[in-house]
Amino acid sequence: MSPEKAVREVSVTIDGNTFAVPEGTLVVEAAKHLGTQIPVYCYHPKLEPAGLCRICLVEIEKMPKLQIACATRVADGMVVHTSSAKVAEARRGVLEFLLLNHPLDCPVCDKGGECELQDFTMSYGPGESRLTEPKLHKPKLVDLGPTIVLDEERCILCRRCTRFDDEIAQERTLIVEDRGFKSLISTRNGGAYASYFSGNTTEICPVGALTSKAYRFRSRPWDLNHTDSVCTQCSVGCNYRVDTRFGRVMRTFTRENPAVDDGWICDRGRYTFNYLYAPERLRAPSIKRDGGRVDVTFAEAAVLAGSKLAEAAARGRVGVIGGGRLSDEEAYALQRFAREVLGTNNIDYRTHAQVYASPSRFGARLTDIDDASVILAFGAVTPELAPILDLRIRRAVARGHAKFVYMGPYRPAFTIETRYVKLQRGTLPKELDDLGDAVRRGAGQPGGSDVATIASDIAAAKKIVAIHSGEDAPSADAIERLVETLQQSGRDAGILVVGATGNARGAEAAGCVPNLGPGYAPVSGEPGMTTDQMLAAAADGRLDALFVIGANPALTFPDGALARRALKRVPFLAVADQVMTETASYAHIVFAAASFAEKRGHTTNLEGIRQAFAAAVESPLEVRTDAQIIGALTLATRRGSIGDDPTTLFAELNAAESAPRAKTGGGALARPVVTGASAPIAVPDGALTVIPIPHLYAGGGAAAHDPGTKPMRPEPYAVFSPSDARRLSLDEGARVKLSGASGSIEVSARIAQQVPDGSVLVLAEMPEAPHNLLLDASGGGWANVEVIAGAAEAAG
Amino acid sequence: MPIEPVLTKGFGSLDLTDLAVYRSVGGFAALTKALREMTPDGVVAEVMASNLRGRGGAGFPTGKKWSFLPKDGRPRYLVCNSDEAEAGTFKDRMLLENSPFNLIEGLVISAYAVNAKRVFIYIRGEFLAGYRIFQKALAQAYDAGLVGADILGSGYSVEIVPHRGAGAYICGEETAQLNSLEGKRGEPRLKPPFPANAGLYGMPTVVNNVETLMYVPHIIERGAKWFASIGAEKSPGPKVISVSGHVMRPGNYEVPLGIPMRELVMELAGGLRPGRRVKAIQPGGGSSAAIFEEDLDVACDFDSLAAKGTMLGSGAVTVMDDTACMVRCALTINRFFETESCGQCTPCREGGQWVHRMVARLEAGEGSESDLKILTTINRTITGTNLCVLGDSIMPFLSSVYKHFPEEFHDHVRLAGCPLHARSESAA
Ligand SMILES: Cc1cc2nc3c(=O)[nH]c(=O)nc-3n(C[C@H](O)[C@H](O)[C@H](O)COP(=O)(O)O)c2cc1C
Ligand code: SF4
Ligand code: SF4
Ligand code: SF4
Ligand code: FES
Repeated sequence: MSPEKAVREVSVTIDGNTFAVPEGTLVVEAAKHLGTQIPVYCYHPKLEPAGLCRICLVEIEKMPKLQIACATRVADGMVVHTSSAKVAEARRGVLEFLLLNHPLDCPVCDKGGECELQDFTMSYGPGESRLTEPKLHKPKLVDLGPTIVLDEERCILCRRCTRFDDEIAQERTLIVEDRGFKSLISTRNGGAYASYFSGNTTEICPVGALTSKAYRFRSRPWDLNHTDSVCTQCSVGCNYRVDTRFGRVMRTFTRENPAVDDGWICDRGRYTFNYLYAPERLRAPSIKRDGGRVDVTFAEAAVLAGSKLAEAAARGRVGVIGGGRLSDEEAYALQRFAREVLGTNNIDYRTHAQVYASPSRFGARLTDIDDASVILAFGAVTPELAPILDLRIRRAVARGHAKFVYMGPYRPAFTIETRYVKLQRGTLPKELDDLGDAVRRGAGQPGGSDVATIASDIAAAKKIVAIHSGEDAPSADAIERLVETLQQSGRDAGILVVGATGNARGAEAAGCVPNLGPGYAPVSGEPGMTTDQMLAAAADGRLDALFVIGANPALTFPDGALARRALKRVPFLAVADQVMTETASYAHIVFAAASFAEKRGHTTNLEGIRQAFAAAVESPLEVRTDAQIIGALTLATRRGSIGDDPTTLFAELNAAESAPRAKTGGGALARPVVTGASAPIAVPDGALTVIPIPHLYAGGGAAAHDPGTKPMRPEPYAVFSPSDARRLSLDEGARVKLSGASGSIEVSARIAQQVPDGSVLVLAEMPEAPHNLLLDASGGGWANVEVIAGAAEAAG
Repeated sequence: MPIEPVLTKGFGSLDLTDLAVYRSVGGFAALTKALREMTPDGVVAEVMASNLRGRGGAGFPTGKKWSFLPKDGRPRYLVCNSDEAEAGTFKDRMLLENSPFNLIEGLVISAYAVNAKRVFIYIRGEFLAGYRIFQKALAQAYDAGLVGADILGSGYSVEIVPHRGAGAYICGEETAQLNSLEGKRGEPRLKPPFPANAGLYGMPTVVNNVETLMYVPHIIERGAKWFASIGAEKSPGPKVISVSGHVMRPGNYEVPLGIPMRELVMELAGGLRPGRRVKAIQPGGGSSAAIFEEDLDVACDFDSLAAKGTMLGSGAVTVMDDTACMVRCALTINRFFETESCGQCTPCREGGQWVHRMVARLEAGEGSESDLKILTTINRTITGTNLCVLGDSIMPFLSSVYKHFPEEFHDHVRLAGCPLHARSESAA
């Protein structure tokens, strides 16, 4: 960490109170020290001062005109009056102007009750109206894109939305059109405002101009109950508030944590809660019977499953898969269940290509990105996998002038300037070692290879943050070697590993791995089987029972054919989930699990911060938390007792973690065992190498069934290079069949320059067309392409 | 007290768009002198000593503006403001069309003085003829080695880039102009930072008016003393003033600053039509407050007009005689500011539109006393509360004529129409 520069303090007098603030503080912020509110519209602490709305005018002695508090910085000895008659008159004036053509449809406006136009008019507005004007009219229902509706009449043109889109998201889709009083908020070239961050604009809009389609006309702010929670849709762990009414989630709202989310959340996090009320939501356990499924009570399901698991455990032929979507407490309970109740170390949270969820001893903090000079990302497509982390990168590049480097098999569409280095499969470790050598030699010879250019960037850097997908152990090790080299050369360097699931890191730390217990303590006895080994064993008939909890390996495990064989073949499969996933569809018993909004506990984000969340609503009658499911199964096996109270479990987890534990060399944490080394794949002649690509709205669980995010969810597609497309005679939009070594899928074709010739990018984790049917256990694969219908036919 | 014309010398008799003609009257001598005999700082000092004040509206001392540029090695830009759109101003257009080489010479000397390697000239979109004339002259100047690399063998190089505006008055405001040049919305920027520190592309930038820069070669050639000896003490030099409205000879007049308004209007511009009297005069374009018949002896310079509560501005004198309806005149002005507001600031955007609506109502005979009451107080919440001074330009004319001729406004309400028109109609 770089030491803070000493900031000079200056003295300021506001409304007769003299106090000291750091030099450069804005008057509006200085006033907050006194608890004095200066009204603002265009000003937002996260945006650059714009000075547009003029509501914040204050009187500053020795200045002839009123000054805007939102852009004027405190100077030593400055004397400010925030409530003089002149100030009051100016505020009244601005409010009067804003109300001139404002529709005042407060009774039907979503913002009513938390609207700054209402609030400031009450506090500072003209007592009586002298507005006899007929109102000018503007469009009232402008569909900006899949998430947002705009009422131009309510808009006060503060431009927070356009500035957010420009300065924070840096997407520059929202614009101001026309000028003067005809100004309208609009989109670039009339296109859709389809941003992963769109929901934030509805929060920062001071009035009811921007509204979420998901929340329009659903509730009044004063009818909402607020619960502090944490988003678990990805591993960033943004803090948010769940707002409920009549026991139902109405919306989510940012709850600023500067160290995690900086006050923003992404749309996947914001809008993924409507599945709770969708027909696909599981509301009761069910069992397979007579070729169909029948609902049973929770008690019945628990007894049945408990005895089956106990039988398999008695034969030592049982495994447990999951943990990365549970709370920390539940992940801890789950590994106890495996180890103490089922007597096995066959437990693994890793159900994706990811093998590590933590950066060992080289952990960086999210805030390290803010002042990093170089950000190196390896295979982690942050806009899709960790949007709010990506927002931080965007800001660091735009404001802090950080350089952003991405190394991977194809060039993802980043919003910001990116130096891209194309990697062949399996070559990352060598590239990184070369990089380390170059840095060690003090190299950075200009005009050389990619490595030389990056080495010279790094050589000039004080702080470097590496972001990894946690896939491929040799790569993870090489990244650590590089970071160690950088640290030894006196640079500040650290690693962030983006989790494949929201609580991957929490599950790893809680001991949901075959060789490690809570706190990375090596297990006593033989390590158990990894997910690949369990699936292989089940597929071969060497396991009698599998318990899959909060996981959908059928869709996420790299070797989709193996996963499906295993799940179909295993004599007893119990699954706990919130919706009927493909994995659950194979299960003999399915438990209906509670969502994060329906339970309390902790979750650990990718940086390792453990954050508490509270229950916002109650779950349906036969739905249970994962802890309750584990507890009930324990009871049913009659082989021990694991409580389901989060408080007790949390205390136990803490105690287990802080117990002295064996450490491996150099103080590094032990690593989860990795099996199934990646073998080079042989691509048959004419076939294309398959590269799975992530998408924010992909997934086979909640996301597949959420009405709130459905409009943003893509159709399955594959992307070809222009020359491959030509060779295969396929057009954009054509329907194609991709056939690999062990299966085939049908998708629509897209064509893009960024695809390397000889490869095809396949949208991952789409239940309609599972990408993993084309992959092997190491995540590699190929496909032959067959055009089923041309673009025109496919469209018609 | 007419003077020998400086910028307009030869207009109407010589074709100064011809490089040879321009040279034959001493053109580019100043450039040679500046580049061969003077240091950049020497040029700045000379301009500073002349006390040349900006001809674009604000009257800011040009030499002083140039001296504000930080000496930090960053690239610098000179921007020439030829967006001339202030109501009643048409001097830059004439200068551009008739004397492009004087402008080019001024641009190169000024760029040399501030050490800019690139000059942008922002030409109002409607000035198509001026743009073409300028382009042609610029090409000749490049060919003659007067612009471009190693000018006159001095080692100094500068590029001049003409840029056409797209028809927005606000793009005449210097920071809006910089945004527009950068391809952004033409909207004024929040200051600070000022252009001297962070102007075009964030670099130190000087913005000067066409006329301002055209005087620079003459100051270099004839000396600061000569320039300072002309006109008013604190507003020295000649200035081209556009006179329009109810005068017999509307047009551009190059006069010494400080010339009495009476001389300008009644003598140079030929006075009013027979039997008519001055009712109101806008001395500095649509943005300025009116002066009246009793003010005719005011000197036309920055300070004397400011003392009268109005301004010289860009030097646009619009004369209204006693046939003019003040409400209708105000309507024209307020319609202009309503449409030309960029829309960033609440008071300018909403207030300007509200004022226009009220004045339109009054003019149409549909106004009310309560409109008039609002117009007397709205000044306090519109003026001085905005980001740029366009917002401050909405009220001056309206307030001044309302204050001076209140009965004319009340009559519009009482008679549900214009008393002047009613009178002339009944007379007919
Ligand atoms: C609304 C507005 C319009 C303006 N229009 C012009 C213009 O058309 N031409 C001009 O030279 N200056 C214009 N100005 C003044 C410029 O902002 C700037 O002060 C001037 O170009 C500086 O040049 P000078 O110092 O040579 O006068 C305008 C200012 C405002 C506020
Ligand atoms: S839509 Fe909202 S945030 Fe955007 S300019 Fe209008 S009032 Fe401001
Ligand atoms: S970035 Fe991740 S944690 Fe944050 S809101 Fe989005 S999905 Fe949730
Ligand atoms: S005062 Fe008017 S023209 Fe100037 S910035 Fe504000 S809105 Fe735009
Ligand atoms: S909050 Fe200061 S101008 Fe808008």
